Amino acid sequence: MDTRDKLNGFLADIERRAFKMARFATGSTDEALDLVQDAMFGFVRHYTSRPEGQWKPLFYSILRSRITDWYRRNSVRKHVLSWLTRSQDCEDEEDPFQDIPDKATLNPFEDILRHEESMALERAIHMLPLRQQQAFLLRVWEEMDVKQTAFVMGCSEGSVKTHYSRAVHSLRGLLEDIR
Amino acid sequence: MDANEQERHLLEKAKDLLSQAAENLDSQTKQRLERIRLNALSASERAHPGAFLSSRWVMGGAVTAAAMAAVAIFFWLKASPGNFPGKHIEDFEMIASMEEIELYENLDFYRWLATKENGA
Repeated sequence: MDTRDKLNGFLADIERRAFKMARFATGSTDEALDLVQDAMFGFVRHYTSRPEGQWKPLFYSILRSRITDWYRRNSVRKHVLSWLTRSQDCEDEEDPFQDIPDKATLNPFEDILRHEESMALERAIHMLPLRQQQAFLLRVWEEMDVKQTAFVMGCSEGSVKTHYSRAVHSLRGLLEDIR
Repeated sequence: MDANEQERHLLEKAKDLLSQAAENLDSQTKQRLERIRLNALSASERAHPGAFLSSRWVMGGAVTAAAMAAVAIFFWLKASPGNFPGKHIEDFEMIASMEEIELYENLDFYRWLATKENGA
């Protein structure tokens, strides 16, 4: 098997999970596809010469970086929009929930998932803070160990353990319901 | 079932559900992902020409190059004796000795002189 076949096989193997990870983070199919595209192009441009064993953490490291950039850009945009809205309508000024994004409304899973349990789980993962989402998905779905997850997330192993533990704690009730 | 085992079971369940959801993506999204992947591979080939040569092709190329070099050396060695200007030892001496070049240039004159002397 030559390098192109290996690379194609690797990308084909992870593309759907990478897409889902980006979809959890953004709540948008188009945004998620753009992020996966950026990550794939970045990966093939810089890292194909690396040993195959390093491909997965390197790819997810790029994807995580792109998602973080997207999050920052989106946060600024939302902040500006919420400030403009607030200045136009003073009645909303006292509403403490105004700045909390309505992720359930922005992220309709109905057109993607058929299974009720999957829908509930995905919605719950989407509601997790970004770092907890990443720690949970990388550890549980990608089966990365703590060290690899720390490399991908660009943080310490202790932080990974904390994020992962909090994510599992948040999801535990839901997971018990769908057992 | 203890707490650890229970948690492991729950996480396995979560993993199965996530994998199932990834498999059941709509066909349009699957096609878009495939197109993105193929475009990325093409971009990589343009960025790193030759990077996708398989070890089989590299090995084949090396063997071909070595064979061509061997053939070239063989023909060069075979052709060398015939083309070498100093094939005979007297020719080599003639070339090596600059002093005698004039003698060879005037060889006709010396032959003529010798016939004259012999005739005399």
